[in-house]
Amino acid sequence: MNCFDPIGEPALADYWLGLLGTAEETAVEEHLFGCDECGERLRRMIALVGGVRKLAREGCLRMVVSEAFLKRMEEEGSRIRQYTVPAGGEVRCTVTADDDLLIARLAAGMSEARRVDLSICDGAGVERLRMSDIPFRPEAGSVVYQESITYAKAAPGNEMIMRLLALDEAGEHPLAEYVFHHTRSLPGPGGW
Amino acid sequence: MSKELTDAELVLQIGLGSGAGAEGELCRRMAQRIRLYGLRHLRDEQAAEDLTQQVLMKTLEALRARRLLDPEKLASFVLGMCRMSVLDLRRNAQRRERLLETFGAPPSGPSRPWLPSLDYDQLERCVRNLKERERSVVVMTFYDEQTGADVAGFLGISEANVRVIRHRAIRQLRDCMGVAI
Repeated sequence: MNCFDPIGEPALADYWLGLLGTAEETAVEEHLFGCDECGERLRRMIALVGGVRKLAREGCLRMVVSEAFLKRMEEEGSRIRQYTVPAGGEVRCTVTADDDLLIARLAAGMSEARRVDLSICDGAGVERLRMSDIPFRPEAGSVVYQESITYAKAAPGNEMIMRLLALDEAGEHPLAEYVFHHTRSLPGPGGW
Repeated sequence: MSKELTDAELVLQIGLGSGAGAEGELCRRMAQRIRLYGLRHLRDEQAAEDLTQQVLMKTLEALRARRLLDPEKLASFVLGMCRMSVLDLRRNAQRRERLLETFGAPPSGPSRPWLPSLDYDQLERCVRNLKERERSVVVMTFYDEQTGADVAGFLGISEANVRVIRHRAIRQLRDCMGVAI
């Protein structure tokens, strides 16, 4: 059986997530009731959505998250270890076997910024990872960054520097820098 | 190999009372579609299974009594039955028990795993490869089922832009996962 007018994956995802308008949803459902090929693709999309949820629950992704997301994770029983760091601040940090998510709240004035990058550097200040054009709200006064819990649990004691950078036509301007002194509290030496 | 009956032919055969084969084929054909509908609207596998049983029972009951006037409209008829049954399930959980007592449980087609398995390592690599905003949008939308307005508020952009970012990210994930999804 070949579908001559397959429903696109974005529309299937939106249907599954309840993001379609009534007319669009009706059209998708009428199609699905006559087309097992698109039904099969919907099943794959449901699996994909479930897979991303699983990754989110495991806390293994490095990403900027919202307060609503953290609240939902907490409501669902995730144990969240959080560090709030002022601009230019330092913090002693660790992660334990019981932690599900590792969060850094990075305070910074971003009211004038149009694009912000997060630079993750080693203890010597050498950039190891650049997260370009991160989501932020200029008026928020902080960025909520989720570090990969998998990475953190494997890490030996180390020092990490994070920098928030504003970018515009004139170039790159530091907004704030943060130093994390990580002490390993899990058994074993750790290592990446 | 025998030719597969059309929906209309199935309806006519069931109406004529000419064989359990047609009823079995109808159940096999419709069960997975009803389950998907149920899972979407009830968000629970057992509830979706209950819906499947209920809709198949009601559909067979209607077809045996020749209540479907246009046999070509079987799919629409079953979809309508699903819509009503979801409302019904929410209103009256006892009705299912009565129907089961009256008609017994119909065949609902061979059971198979609900969803295909995923290569999670590959999915993790694919999600990591998304741009920062795409990753945030996808994770927050998929995990938390946040609305476009919620995500737009977080990102400080319009709902239309959130939709564009979400759709671009979904296409990238699909391409990155290849035939695995």
